[in-house]
Amino acid sequence: MDDLELGNGAKVYVKLWLNDHFSINLVTQTTVSLFVVTVTLILLAFFIGRNLKKRPSRLQVLVEKGITAFYGIVEDTMGKHNMKYAPYILTVFLSSVFGSLIGMTQIFRSTTADLMVVMGWALVTSALCWYEGIKNNGFLGWLKGYTEPIAVMTPMNVISEVAQPISMAFRHFGNVTGGGVLTTLIYAALAALTHVVFCWLPPQILSWIPPVFQIGIPAFLSIYFDLFSGFVQAFVFSLLTMVYVGSANPPPAEETAKNN
Amino acid sequence: MRFEVFTDEFEALIGTNFWTMIFAWVNLLILYLFLRKLLFNPVKNMIDNRQKEIDDMYADAAEKEKAAEADKAAYAKKLRLAGEESENIRKQAQREALLKEEEILKEAQDQAQRTRKRAEEEIEREKKRALNEIKDEVSGMAIEIASSLIGRDVKEEEHRAMIDDFISHMDEKS
Repeated sequence: MDDLELGNGAKVYVKLWLNDHFSINLVTQTTVSLFVVTVTLILLAFFIGRNLKKRPSRLQVLVEKGITAFYGIVEDTMGKHNMKYAPYILTVFLSSVFGSLIGMTQIFRSTTADLMVVMGWALVTSALCWYEGIKNNGFLGWLKGYTEPIAVMTPMNVISEVAQPISMAFRHFGNVTGGGVLTTLIYAALAALTHVVFCWLPPQILSWIPPVFQIGIPAFLSIYFDLFSGFVQAFVFSLLTMVYVGSANPPPAEETAKNN
Repeated sequence: MRFEVFTDEFEALIGTNFWTMIFAWVNLLILYLFLRKLLFNPVKNMIDNRQKEIDDMYADAAEKEKAAEADKAAYAKKLRLAGEESENIRKQAQREALLKEEEILKEAQDQAQRTRKRAEEEIEREKKRALNEIKDEVSGMAIEIASSLIGRDVKEEEHRAMIDDFISHMDEKS
């Protein structure tokens, strides 16, 4: 039973030694996956965006429907004045979906199974919140916001601000990694099951029998852990980004007055 | 500084490689720029354009419908006016015909009256002439009868006056 990848992160492909003691992992499985996802998405966007027609093809209808639906969600969650963030959030969504699904190829590792990737995205969300906060209230007003409703709450507010990207990142990372770990565990369990079922065979033959239970069963589990979970986590991540940035940039006063 | 390629190392499960984060940022930025330029904006523009076209088409159709409605109303009005006019013409013609008819009738009546009058006059004249003739004849005969009866000559002038007087009295009686 070799579950050697169970507790490991991305494989390091290129390591740069700055001196004898200090090194950085320049290229890992994650970076390769990120690159592949980026290139794939850009190529897809290029080939779909190149052939847009007034009378759409089936693919174009699907793409238009998807983008319209996502933009609709962004508008509902953040308001019309925040629609400038829609392309970014859709980019994060697509990066996340493709990043999670690329793990299903078994050639590349899911990008979202690397904490640093999702942490990077979560920090961008926080940065956007800070940017909107400073833009709307001024730097001092934004700082003052942390002392509200009373000054005693300041540490709590700061902690919640710090916790926000961490929770976002770990939620996404944990789900994808957990799915991967579970898949590995199930493979191991199914291999063990093969041994148990065929234990009556002489050991010489038993060692030649392939783990037959590994065929088929993991595919169904993969539908949940990779496909479904990948979409859900991407959606949750995008939705949280919308909610956080949207609340940092509430609708202008006159618009609120108009709605009420 | 040296590179070590294809190491057998793995990063920790909870990775802390900041280089990966930077790489993720760069990828996200590139993806954002490219997807926005290549896909999102063109698709959005396409949808908006199509929507605009449809809206225009609907607006155009509504406008055309309005114009058609106005045309229809105008035609209906024209038709009504034409009907009225034809009615007027008919009435006028009727009136004129009636007048003409009266005129003709009147003329005919006049003529008939004139003819009758002339005929009556003629009859009167004829009657008178016949009467005179008869008178002459009768007076002649009476004288002749009287002279033969008396056997002598009778003064014709005296007797003639007498007989004429008698006849005119008869005429009055008849």
